[in-house]
Amino acid sequence: MIRKKGLDIFLLGFFILSVGCVSLSEKTLVPGSPDDLPDCYAVFPAGPWESVYKLEATIRGGGSFSLLGVTKGEPSERRLQSLLLTPEGFILFDAEFRDGEMAVRNAVAPFDSPAFAGGLMEDVSLLFLPPKNKPTGWEKKTDGTMICNWRGPDDSHTEVTGSMESGWRILRRDKRGKVIKEVVLNGPFVNGLASRMELRAFKPASYTLRMTLVQPTP
Amino acid sequence: MKKFLFLSVFVTTGLLSAAAALSQDWTSFKDASRNIQSVKADFLQKRTLQILTKPLLSEGKLFFYAPDSLRWEYLSPLRSVMLQKGNNIQVYNFSEGKWKPEMTQAVESRRMVLAEISQWFQGRFDESKAFKHTYSPGPPARIILVPGEGINRFIQRIEIVLSVRPGVIDRVEIEEPGGSRTSIEFRNVEINSSISSEVFEKP
Repeated sequence: MIRKKGLDIFLLGFFILSVGCVSLSEKTLVPGSPDDLPDCYAVFPAGPWESVYKLEATIRGGGSFSLLGVTKGEPSERRLQSLLLTPEGFILFDAEFRDGEMAVRNAVAPFDSPAFAGGLMEDVSLLFLPPKNKPTGWEKKTDGTMICNWRGPDDSHTEVTGSMESGWRILRRDKRGKVIKEVVLNGPFVNGLASRMELRAFKPASYTLRMTLVQPTP
Repeated sequence: MKKFLFLSVFVTTGLLSAAAALSQDWTSFKDASRNIQSVKADFLQKRTLQILTKPLLSEGKLFFYAPDSLRWEYLSPLRSVMLQKGNNIQVYNFSEGKWKPEMTQAVESRRMVLAEISQWFQGRFDESKAFKHTYSPGPPARIILVPGEGINRFIQRIEIVLSVRPGVIDRVEIEEPGGSRTSIEFRNVEINSSISSEVFEKP
């Protein structure tokens, strides 16, 4: 009896893991039609843009907090500036990211550690900037869904799946193919910005960021 | 501490909205502030940041009951509330469908700031350690607050613009170094109306 119950739990666990692995499994792609290539970039806003998002962060074992995130982007220069504000409007964090280089202008505890700054700007880049290089493979399905893969210089992988109609998913994998970050972006898209986004980070820190678009510009 | 000094500016402006006198001269203004029992008001906050083309708009409500009960609440875009009743200070954020206490431990800093605010509310500007004040008869009449050393890294100047309607101010302008500004406009101001004590106890 005990053995059977143990077997049931094992099978249930295996089923859950299998479902998770199916949805997050990596597909090997080759370069597709050049006409489809621009669609790999559709999830990322093009041209200069500004946004205000409501952020709800949940840190595993560390509680949660709500803040406002203000970001300005210049995609052609691969440049982003991000601010974190309290509900009262006090600036807790202000940093600029330009072509891989980060400059922190202002940071107040507990947002003043280099690790936090690096992690935040990595998340903002994942959300709003396409990888620097050309995709290594892409495919457009008959329903219009795109699947695009990039390989980074550190052998990390970025995978973008979806469409403007159905929403998008961005996966960042480490060099062993393990998913370390997952972003789900849902419409409606306003000036190329998703109305709702959820970022789940698994490694090295585990946390969830839920973002709701408050104010797009222009 | 910096954060709460900044917050105090907003809170103070709410308190001062009730402290304006029937006559807008400085002496009457200070005298009237001693007769305030309660204040209710809505506010619209416009935060102008260099990074944004358009100001960031926030809306909220203020409740005050003399001598030391305060509720300063943002309704949008983020729901957040600061509650003070006597020495008890609580801050909550609305997240995932419920109110959650703020993670910060800086209660002592808030207490110090609120003590400062209390002095301002009672017209005791001379006792402020954080700001020096001047009064400009206008029109419109204004109170100008200039911070001392330290705080001036974050706040350059505050202007409280009094309304022609007795007991009400139109708006407050806060200038920061680097060009960012905050404007708070008060609406539907009620002075000395009844307020349930629960308003200051529960989010």
